[in-house]
Amino acid sequence: MLRILLIDDTPRKIGRLKSALIEAGFEVIDESGLTIDLPERVEAIRPDVVLIDTDSPGRDVLEQVVLVSRDQPRPIVMFTDDSDPEAMRQAIRAGVSAYIVEGIQAQRLKPILDVAMARFESDQAIRAQLQAREQQLAERKRIELAKGMLMKMRNCKEEEAYTLMRRQAMSRQQKLIQVAEQIIAMNELLGE
Amino acid sequence: MTDPLSPHRHDALAWVAGNDAPEKSSVNLGFLPLTDAASLIVAATQGFAQPFGLTLNLQRQNSWSALRDKLIGGELDAAHGLYGLIYAVHLGIGGSPAVDMAVLMGLAQNGQSINLSAPLKAAGVTDAEALRASVRQSGARLTLAHTFPTGTHALWLNYWLAAHGIDPLRDVKTLVLPPSQMVAHLRAGRIDGFCAGEPWGAQAITEGVGFTLATSQSIWPDHPEKVLGCPRAFVEEYPNTARALVMAVLEASRFIDQSQENRRSTAQLIAGRDYVDAPLAAIESRFLGLYQDGLGNAWQDEHPLRFFGEGAANLPYLSDGLWFMTQLRRWGLLREDPDYLQVANQVQQIELYRQAAGALGIALPDSAMRSATLMDGKHWDGSDPATYARSFALHSMASPAMAAL
Repeated sequence: MLRILLIDDTPRKIGRLKSALIEAGFEVIDESGLTIDLPERVEAIRPDVVLIDTDSPGRDVLEQVVLVSRDQPRPIVMFTDDSDPEAMRQAIRAGVSAYIVEGIQAQRLKPILDVAMARFESDQAIRAQLQAREQQLAERKRIELAKGMLMKMRNCKEEEAYTLMRRQAMSRQQKLIQVAEQIIAMNELLGE
Repeated sequence: MTDPLSPHRHDALAWVAGNDAPEKSSVNLGFLPLTDAASLIVAATQGFAQPFGLTLNLQRQNSWSALRDKLIGGELDAAHGLYGLIYAVHLGIGGSPAVDMAVLMGLAQNGQSINLSAPLKAAGVTDAEALRASVRQSGARLTLAHTFPTGTHALWLNYWLAAHGIDPLRDVKTLVLPPSQMVAHLRAGRIDGFCAGEPWGAQAITEGVGFTLATSQSIWPDHPEKVLGCPRAFVEEYPNTARALVMAVLEASRFIDQSQENRRSTAQLIAGRDYVDAPLAAIESRFLGLYQDGLGNAWQDEHPLRFFGEGAANLPYLSDGLWFMTQLRRWGLLREDPDYLQVANQVQQIELYRQAAGALGIALPDSAMRSATLMDGKHWDGSDPATYARSFALHSMASPAMAAL
């Protein structure tokens, strides 16, 4: 069963979503108004989904969403009365997986949550690939930088510099990037 | 002219920048702790993959069956593999349902060995003749281990025994063990010998618990050994990733074989805890082609473990794939003749390899068939696999009448 953290950011009392969720067979493990410690609470109670009920997603709400997406990525579903396309766009950009306007009927909750989960998983996969690409690029740049330094120090050609770095890395059972970082650090220490 | 990071590789970088960019930039790569996994370890750790837009995540496995399960289950994208394992999975005879598989490239040739125990050495069983006499007269059958039911080590062991008139299915008992556990089992007296990759043969000698009876290259000089294998779905879904992976591993292979110094550094790297996790002393000699058999003989091998050979070790020859099917048929693991050529054409990813090798300026042979003469004098050229499979005096094929039942 999906474990849900319910955030109520409406002037109404908690109730309109919670009863619908329980009716639809979900487990609401925590509920409260919006507070400034949303990422910590997500970390502490580890919900499967975060549901936010809000009249209109203001900046405070979206800041909390950004933090959760960065530190404790979870599917986040936002129920709101605000049908302004710009508000929706900002919410999606902040990390909301599904933005639902005035749609709280028990029978609709399950498909909405399913879509949000699927969307979240595919976003996470894309993000992981992007991170891997960024890391490759960053590592390549550091290796190139170290190679340049070594060419200068040893007065050698590019290919020889790579081979020297690789032999050093391999004989110490290290990765090339580690030796590159050591060369850069040493170069900084010795100064230009 | 071999470094993927150098500026003269801008042509190769075009793969990354253009429409040929890898669809999946992070690849999970399985391997077993064996010296012939070196090109994958070097590719993943020494900056050979980033220029092609890839990050390779090495994942060591304890046994070939674990590696097979993770490859089929998708936890591994591609892996260091046994020819016979890839074909067995493809043909549905590997202890798992049939899954379409692909051989992306050869990783290594040569470098496996058949080893016997110190007690057999003490009893004077140090050559084929003595072994044949021993298996005929002794009451309890000898137990010889290999690494996977349809794997190359089972087939090398069978080939060598049969070539010396010993029936591998009747005259000895065989069992399957992970390669890294061979030495411990030999020391404990649970097996009388084993066929596996290095450094486990050399380690048995170092520990004084065994000796090398035969190298695999004495069975077939420059025989195909490990391959880079994956489910065919991976190649179909991520063709650019598969090509980039082959290119990265080709560059690493070229680097290892480029000089003795590079080989020596490679031996030091793979000895590490995260990789082969064995003493450098056990790894280095045979990695450099220097053999001692534990019987007082030492030699520089003419066909040692090799990773590149100007690409000769890497093209996934059709005839190599065919040969393993003939041996699976010979020993009854395949109950009927498969459509040899069709299956080999499905599994061996020759076109993908051609693209990868071509982009790196690596020579491509004219033909996807190669020929060899094996230890028993039999000639193999891939031209008639069904007849070749039937041409052995010792075999375990059901008769056509039996097959009809």
